Amino acid sequence: MIKVEQVYKTYINKHRNFLFFSETRQTEAVCGVDLYVNPGEIVGLLGMNGAGKTTLIKMMSTLLSPTSGTITIDGMDVVKDALKVKSIVNMIAGGERMLYFRLTGRQNLEYFGNLYGLRGSLLKDRINYLLSKVGLEKAADTPVERYSKGMKQRLQIARGLINDPKYLFLDEPTLGLDVSVAKRLREFVQELVHREGKGIVLTSHYLEEIEELCDRVYIANNGRIIMHDTPKNLVFNITHGNVLNIVVPEINDKLNNNLRTLIELHNANIEISSNEEGILISIKSKKDITTEVVQTIYNSNVNLISLYIEKPKLEDAILQLENGVA
Amino acid sequence: MFLTIQATFRRNYLVMRHSLPYTSIIGSLLSGFYMILFSYLIYKIMFNGKLDDSFIKYTGSSDYITFAVLGSTVYILSISVLLIVSRSLISELRQGTLETIFLSPASRQGYFLGCMLQGLMLVGIEFIGILVMGFFFGLDITNINPISASITLVLIIFSFYSQALVLGAIMVWFRDTYITQNTLITLMGLISGVSFPIEYLPDWLQYLSKIMPLTFGLVAFRETIMLGGELVSSFESISYLIMLTTCYFLIGKYLLIKVEKNILEKITE
Repeated sequence: MIKVEQVYKTYINKHRNFLFFSETRQTEAVCGVDLYVNPGEIVGLLGMNGAGKTTLIKMMSTLLSPTSGTITIDGMDVVKDALKVKSIVNMIAGGERMLYFRLTGRQNLEYFGNLYGLRGSLLKDRINYLLSKVGLEKAADTPVERYSKGMKQRLQIARGLINDPKYLFLDEPTLGLDVSVAKRLREFVQELVHREGKGIVLTSHYLEEIEELCDRVYIANNGRIIMHDTPKNLVFNITHGNVLNIVVPEINDKLNNNLRTLIELHNANIEISSNEEGILISIKSKKDITTEVVQTIYNSNVNLISLYIEKPKLEDAILQLENGVA
Repeated sequence: MFLTIQATFRRNYLVMRHSLPYTSIIGSLLSGFYMILFSYLIYKIMFNGKLDDSFIKYTGSSDYITFAVLGSTVYILSISVLLIVSRSLISELRQGTLETIFLSPASRQGYFLGCMLQGLMLVGIEFIGILVMGFFFGLDITNINPISASITLVLIIFSFYSQALVLGAIMVWFRDTYITQNTLITLMGLISGVSFPIEYLPDWLQYLSKIMPLTFGLVAFRETIMLGGELVSSFESISYLIMLTTCYFLIGKYLLIKVEKNILEKITE
């Protein structure tokens, strides 16, 4: 289990003012973060640019040390037991870097495998397995400089899995990938978690990806975790439920009164406008009151032209959070 | 550590095979040639092939050409080893692979040694090439003590390796290769006794030359080749060389740990 307890990270920078004069500035990148990740689950880390996501991931992967607080992985401290932790974690970042372009895909994996102490048939089998998993068997002996962006990203994934890590950090893994490659990657990530029981921390700007993959999501802002829940609960709590849209040809007094009573009863919001089909009634409620609304319309002797439910997405929730609505 | 040495050696070898750095080899050979030519012309034309007694007193030999050729050869060797090792980290940083190295539990020294040992494949060609050129100018190695010379050469290479760790840390800290390496290389060429004995330098520069492994390496190497000396006969130089190697190694190792943290923070910020 990854356990982050009261972790702070402060960067100290020197800013040159004029020739030899400089001033020291402190930037609080991470402030008192608590977080946990169990094996066999995908945890999302969301936030705006500069929220501290990458810093947090790099601290968990031993690349950076916390200024204060502790991070343990399976009971091992990421600072004191860095070497042991390094052998059970790995990181995959989006983009085309982290690979040697003049080497072939196989040679890259051989090198990184050696760095993790793998050799011989064990390494050979692992490389063949990973190359087939990411669909690069045919291009295995082609220099990486001739790979497409998607192929490089797939090789990155194979590199990140070369040591069969128990915990994997994915920092924008689908950045710049085309739709089909990104979809295959998401399927692969799910397979890693559900079949192989790996614990994954994922950051992504594609919120649908987070919503689709993650069991739990942490939302960071200015280095602090401001919310933590399942994607479904987050959306519900931030956006206050679904929007029920109903189109009717007319609204009589009976319907108007009955609807107002219902809305008051369920502490919901109602908006009435007109569109090409008729009169659009939008009801936003924490509880699903579709049945009651339909019954009310029926009892008021009004015909129902159409009905659809708008389910807010994580994107809507984050936008609301950003705008300070929530 | 051995697996990391082997892996890094192989990786760099594959990259080298993919694109052999002809220009670098030719550049080193030409540098060596110009240095020997420069010393030869000064000796023959300016000094008319004559040396005063002080040269013999300081070097124990009157063979200036051999003195200069050996100086130039080891100097070019020092530059190559220094650059191969010290630039390895900053190259990883520039090509975006530094984090993958630091992410792994691989030995850092294994990584640097792998870089150096592979680099020595090319450096060896340059070293032999410059020595061969030296023969045309009058290099005389008839007095050589091959075993002592070989051991001294290995010690010299490791002293440059240690010095390169410090240089590499400075390069990564300042994210600069050009100014840092050229300052050191020019200084080494001037004060380490490459073309003339350091005793000709002002006292304060002589003190400065004592922090350069090249200074003591050259004294010991020339002793084993020009005078056929045993290792014991250059005990003082070898002792200083080992002491400096140890100091540079420890400082370099310490600085690299500091730099590793610093650079990873700068990349992330």
